[in-house]
Amino acid sequence: MTAILAATTGADGGGAMLEARDLRFDYRRPIVKGVSFRLAAGTVTGIVGPNGSGKTTILRLLDRILPPLGGEVYLRGGVPISSLKRREIAREIAMVPQNGGVSDYQTVFQFAMQGRAPHLSRLGFESAEDEGIVLEALEMTALTRYRDARVSELSGGERQRLGLARALAQDTPILLLDEFTANLDVNYQVELMRLVRDITRRKNLATLIVSHEINLLGAFCDRAILVAQGEALCQGGVAEVLTRENLRRVFGLDFSIRHLPGGKVEVLPVISTDDATGDDGCGCGVGDAGRMRPLLAVGK
Amino acid sequence: MNLPAGKAAQSSGALSKTKIAAFTLALLGAWLLALAVSLNIGSVRIPVGKALALVLRRLSGGDAGGDPMAAVLFSVRLPRALLGSLVGASLAVAGTAFQSLLRNPLADPYVLGVSTGASLGTILYSIFAGWLGLAVAGGVGVGGGFVFARPVAAFLGAALTVGAVYVIAGGSRRRPGGDSQRLLLAGIVLASFLSSINVFLLTSVNQADIRGIFYWLIGDLSRPVDASVYPVLGLVFGGVFLLFLLSHNLNLISLGEEDALILGVDVRKVKTAVYVIASVITGAVVSVSGPIAYIGLICPHLGRMMFGGDNRILVPTVFLFGAIFTLLADTLARTVLSPAELPVGIVTALAGAPLFIYLLHSKRGSSL
Repeated sequence: MTAILAATTGADGGGAMLEARDLRFDYRRPIVKGVSFRLAAGTVTGIVGPNGSGKTTILRLLDRILPPLGGEVYLRGGVPISSLKRREIAREIAMVPQNGGVSDYQTVFQFAMQGRAPHLSRLGFESAEDEGIVLEALEMTALTRYRDARVSELSGGERQRLGLARALAQDTPILLLDEFTANLDVNYQVELMRLVRDITRRKNLATLIVSHEINLLGAFCDRAILVAQGEALCQGGVAEVLTRENLRRVFGLDFSIRHLPGGKVEVLPVISTDDATGDDGCGCGVGDAGRMRPLLAVGK
Repeated sequence: MNLPAGKAAQSSGALSKTKIAAFTLALLGAWLLALAVSLNIGSVRIPVGKALALVLRRLSGGDAGGDPMAAVLFSVRLPRALLGSLVGASLAVAGTAFQSLLRNPLADPYVLGVSTGASLGTILYSIFAGWLGLAVAGGVGVGGGFVFARPVAAFLGAALTVGAVYVIAGGSRRRPGGDSQRLLLAGIVLASFLSSINVFLLTSVNQADIRGIFYWLIGDLSRPVDASVYPVLGLVFGGVFLLFLLSHNLNLISLGEEDALILGVDVRKVKTAVYVIASVITGAVVSVSGPIAYIGLICPHLGRMMFGGDNRILVPTVFLFGAIFTLLADTLARTVLSPAELPVGIVTALAGAPLFIYLLHSKRGSSL
């Protein structure tokens, strides 16, 4: 395992900001079965996998929202995360959850200010410095002009940017994003991914993103981890991981892969209009069962 | 979208300490005003100036010199007004805490069964104290020499009820606290169950003062204030202070537990602490006044309509709203049918139910 880990860090040149070792979790059935990886500074890593493969659970284990039943997460300097208090974890890891809590009475500025919570005193009164950090986060996410608007007035894409702004206000070296581009138009998806990549570079963050949008991950991530049935099937540079063979194995579909400059890839499913896909012909509605079956057939 | 752009940094709506202090002081002033009115009204009218002079003389160590007004003021009216304020303030803050914790505007000590559990504790204590031959003057609600015993019994009743509600709602290690809808429903069921037990116990015990017991069950402040109020006072002020310290964490939890965890709140610890504290202060005051309905529902609503959902400002202001509301309600209760007195719980329910319906239908009431 050490060899794999060494190879992982070697590829990016940066030091590991987070290392997950043999993470395990089960709830009635095994959900995450011994996953290990490292996240490096200045790098966007994507987790790819079908529904129910344990992607989101892995993210929650990293942030210890769910304490893992086995394994450990180590932060900079080899500090095991289980030895830290909740507040200390929140100073190391920021996360944009899939369905973040939003209250109607809050303004954009107030919502982003929540990100300062782990740095504030018990009663949470903020200083001018905190205000500066929040304003910078709003600036980076292009929300400055909405700062006094109510959160409920924002569009879907703006809300996601606000979630990112709150995470940036947390001022952590590690950023976790759960289905960050879900339910958005494709132009917003691209805009958000570009933003995430640029901020990761600028602030030298170790960013991990879970998404269903393989194509977006192929275009914007540096590294990828392919997950199926709670196991990391392979990980490495995004072009090494998102190959036809790997994706076919996991999703049971043919993909057209085109290599882009900078080690990125364009990944498009080859949509068959045969009735063999078991669908109404549009091919885009392949059910979960349809995706999982080929994996079982090939894997075992 | 029409947005006002480029406002000054201070206008971002961030809650400042100054704002909290200003509104708290303003409401403190309003409470003093209500106190003056309450002391003035009654079978014997005590002019405000006279009352003030008497209080000042008493505070400076002077002797009232057998003034009949002084006797009414110091032995009846003032203690009752202060007690009413204390009880109302506690129930209102406990309501705020429960609502924030369960993220449900209907959660209050009464609805959750905490008040009823505290009554059961008090009743059981009184019965056992009677059997054991302890001095139980005047039946239910007034303990004897052990000033701590009654509030402690009430707290145990409240805490056990919270525990039972938690178990019925199906809370577990994986799902701490169950979900808030289930907790609320479990509370409602348990409250009606416990309240039948209360009635059964009271009717089967041979007590002369059925009317007094009945009043106490609705919530009553007419009993003489004795030494048992001191531990209650300590528990309430200590508890409210702790809730204020936890108020920012509670803000984050009321957004959602996952968000709170992400932002560094030890959700489980804070939730447990808030539960225990809110139960302690509820138990403490119920042991004195009986369960008074609607205070824990109306006052937090009023606070949220005026100040938004930030618990840092809600804890001190709702504390005072509760004091004012209950003080005025009790003043009405003891004067409107004078010389007969109503239990304060009837007045809070008569005023509270329509007010609550209005709040539910008003535009801002739905903001929670």
